[in-house]
Amino acid sequence: MPLLSQLLQNKKAMVGVVILAFIILVAVFAPFLSEYSPTQRVGRPHQPPSLDHWLGTTRLGHDVFTRLIHGARVSLAVGFGAGLMIALIGTVLGILAGYKGGVIDEVINFFTNLVLVIPNLPLLLVIAAFVGQASPLIIAVILGLTSWAWGVRVTRSETLSIRQRDYVKSAEMLGEPSWRIMAFEIFPNLISIVGINFIGSVIFAVITEATLEFLGLGDPNTVSWGIMLYNAQNASALSVGAWWDLLSPCFALTLLGLSLALINFAIDEVANPRLRTGSMLGRWKRMVRVGEGKL
Amino acid sequence: MNILSVTNLSIDYVGATSVFHAVKNVSFDIAPGEFFGLAGESGCGKSTIAFAISRLHRPPALIRTGSSIEVDGRDVLALDDDELRRFRWREVAMVFQSAMNSLNPVLTIENQFYDVLNTHTGMSRPAARDRAAELLELVDIPTDRLSAYPHQLSGGMRQRIVIAICLALSPKLIIMDEPTTALDVVVQREILQRIDKLRHKLGFSVLFITHDLALMVQVSDRIGIMLEGELVEVNDAQTIYRAPQHDYTRKLWAAMPRLHGAQTAQDAVR
Amino acid sequence: MAFLLRRLVFYLAAFIAAATINFFLPRLMPGDPIQIMFSGAGSNLSMENLNALKLTFGFIDAPIGQQYLAYMQSVFTGDLGRSIKYYPLPVTELLGRALIWTLGLVGSATIVSFVLGTLLGVMAAWRRGTLFDTVVSLLAIFSSSVPGVVISLTMLFVFGYTLGWFPNGYAADPMLDPEFGWTYILSVLHHGALPMFTMVVLLTGGFAVTMRNNMINLLGEDYIVMGRAKGLGENQVMLWYAARNALLPTVSSLAISVGTILGGSLVIEVVFNYPGLGNTLYQAILARDYPVIQGQLLIMTSAMLVSNFVVDLSYVLLDPRLKKA
Repeated sequence: MPLLSQLLQNKKAMVGVVILAFIILVAVFAPFLSEYSPTQRVGRPHQPPSLDHWLGTTRLGHDVFTRLIHGARVSLAVGFGAGLMIALIGTVLGILAGYKGGVIDEVINFFTNLVLVIPNLPLLLVIAAFVGQASPLIIAVILGLTSWAWGVRVTRSETLSIRQRDYVKSAEMLGEPSWRIMAFEIFPNLISIVGINFIGSVIFAVITEATLEFLGLGDPNTVSWGIMLYNAQNASALSVGAWWDLLSPCFALTLLGLSLALINFAIDEVANPRLRTGSMLGRWKRMVRVGEGKL
Repeated sequence: MNILSVTNLSIDYVGATSVFHAVKNVSFDIAPGEFFGLAGESGCGKSTIAFAISRLHRPPALIRTGSSIEVDGRDVLALDDDELRRFRWREVAMVFQSAMNSLNPVLTIENQFYDVLNTHTGMSRPAARDRAAELLELVDIPTDRLSAYPHQLSGGMRQRIVIAICLALSPKLIIMDEPTTALDVVVQREILQRIDKLRHKLGFSVLFITHDLALMVQVSDRIGIMLEGELVEVNDAQTIYRAPQHDYTRKLWAAMPRLHGAQTAQDAVR
Repeated sequence: MAFLLRRLVFYLAAFIAAATINFFLPRLMPGDPIQIMFSGAGSNLSMENLNALKLTFGFIDAPIGQQYLAYMQSVFTGDLGRSIKYYPLPVTELLGRALIWTLGLVGSATIVSFVLGTLLGVMAAWRRGTLFDTVVSLLAIFSSSVPGVVISLTMLFVFGYTLGWFPNGYAADPMLDPEFGWTYILSVLHHGALPMFTMVVLLTGGFAVTMRNNMINLLGEDYIVMGRAKGLGENQVMLWYAARNALLPTVSSLAISVGTILGGSLVIEVVFNYPGLGNTLYQAILARDYPVIQGQLLIMTSAMLVSNFVVDLSYVLLDPRLKKA
């Protein structure tokens, strides 16, 4: 696939993928990377980083490093899980609305706009407040069910422009059933949009899960980066100078966000050559510099 | 002195791994007041040449060293940024392929005249408005259209307004890149007749670019035929029509359906 | 005109939708909805006060249809009930105070970010392919993929605690009495600087990317080339031909991002202990003050709708093609 090979050559994509792979590996092998348990008291409270505790300890004496690498599992699971759900719902509804048109489009459009216009985080907060202490699974489900609207819009507009193309028209003439056309003619041409939507949804899910847990709406017994933030904030980590307690999950979240953003940026560049930055004009610049021509 | 003197013009599009030679060593001249047509199929490089005269290209286009473009004796390729800016529209004006999109959608017609008049001559708004009215009259457009936005006018009107804006600074050369392709034949004829009248009245030269050879023969003094970046034949219009020299020119004529049956049979034999 | 009317009808529908969500949420949760809603009351409220509250929220002895109408009536007459934690303070008053602080913070930050981000986007698009473009694009993408929480906490850590340039919380020095005197205003500005700065960092990137992409999408248009061919200055073409046209889709995306802006402000207010709507919502959640929580949703949705409408209005003003309609 030309898209894939171009991606593999893109520097930004490579850096992003490497970082992401690193985080995933750390999460998978977490139990082997640390001798401590993430939920047991293994040291004195709020110890600064040392050889025994690479990232210090929390107020309850837990090892920060251990909690960090175990927390990666939850953040990745919720991120990709909810992200997948969001992208799936958004893509399906978007293609349906764009291809079928008419009443289906009107209805989907109306509800999408409605959902878009109600502020996301406040809505999530209200729902989470009623649900009580939400486990990561519940958070993922809530996110999946409420955040698909943006994807519908984007997918729908791309579908609208594709549905006029020749190969779609000819498939219709041949009498192919709608679902086949949507799945095999339209969808393959939306791959880059869907890809960007998916990764964007993952980023959104990771950020929102962490935010909800930070605000105290998660299950405090979970080991996740969001809960680490919550605990650190409650322990007034900054005021007492225990910066490692708070900044470790901050750093982890930043790293994950960065890697996903790089991948997304690269997909966009490859799919939309016009939006590319830099480097494509290297040869041209050289020729101008040497005096072989001008504009 | 020729209004336009193009010598050994070569333009490339530089890609990451390969180079596309869009224009290969093209040379031709246009005399003052002459109507010169440049014909050829899509992608032969004629628009590339048109853009190059005002140096409107962007990367990855590259005008190769050794090329020369002179307008009224001035070396266009040697102009610095400031000189180039002042040169544009004053010496050479351009009508683009689809006038529908040539006008800035968010500016009134009056403002589209004002910005070019003010930038080049420092004209005030009232003076610019008068000049704009003058120019609109040349193309038979009522002055109340000055306060309109482009989308409120028809395609033909927009095309005429673009021509009027072209004349604003009394340029020596007007380049028209497929100006009538998007319009119906009646409007096409009108516009060409109008250009011809204006040309005789104001004395500018025209570089007319199109793929429609038959149309061009009716209006041009001389014609150049382009094929894949090269200028394969240059001659006066009548010679191009009656006695084409180059194989490709003959093929172009042969590709056109004729209205007279007997002649078709004769052409087939040729 | 027709355009604006259609939008107004839609906004009304959205508002009703938010109120409907409010109505059904407690009723959909497992358990007795009345118990859930007023669990925070404890012994704070007398029987009659509790009953009055129940009435406001539609918890009457009647079929669900009538309950819904009762609630809707309260909402549309401006009665959002009273806060349980701060009884008998009406929710509208509580939120009203907080709204002013949020408007100040969010309003100023959004304007600054929009102007800054749009300018950066314009320049990045105009200088496409240069280092400037690459740097701006990357920075912008990064700032929108990192949680607002993280940015806020880091800012607080660096500028509040480590460097000590700014105070660590609150809207103004808690020791001062609120008044329109110089000392108080300076204190407000000093305390608001870091949250606002954090918000600008959070928002600018998004605007920059949007503007850049919109500009690039129209850089190939004929009128841009004609602008240059006319011999107009580079800046003139960049601003009046390119940017002015790219502004239209950018402004409409502003409408969509208001939701994100409100969400972001919420987090920032909590981290900086700033008494805006977001922080009030947060405190209400901790105290299970459901009347306030529900009122919040309505107020924030209204804020979204109003700002969307303002954007609709400016869109009509900016795009001559809509003026005709």
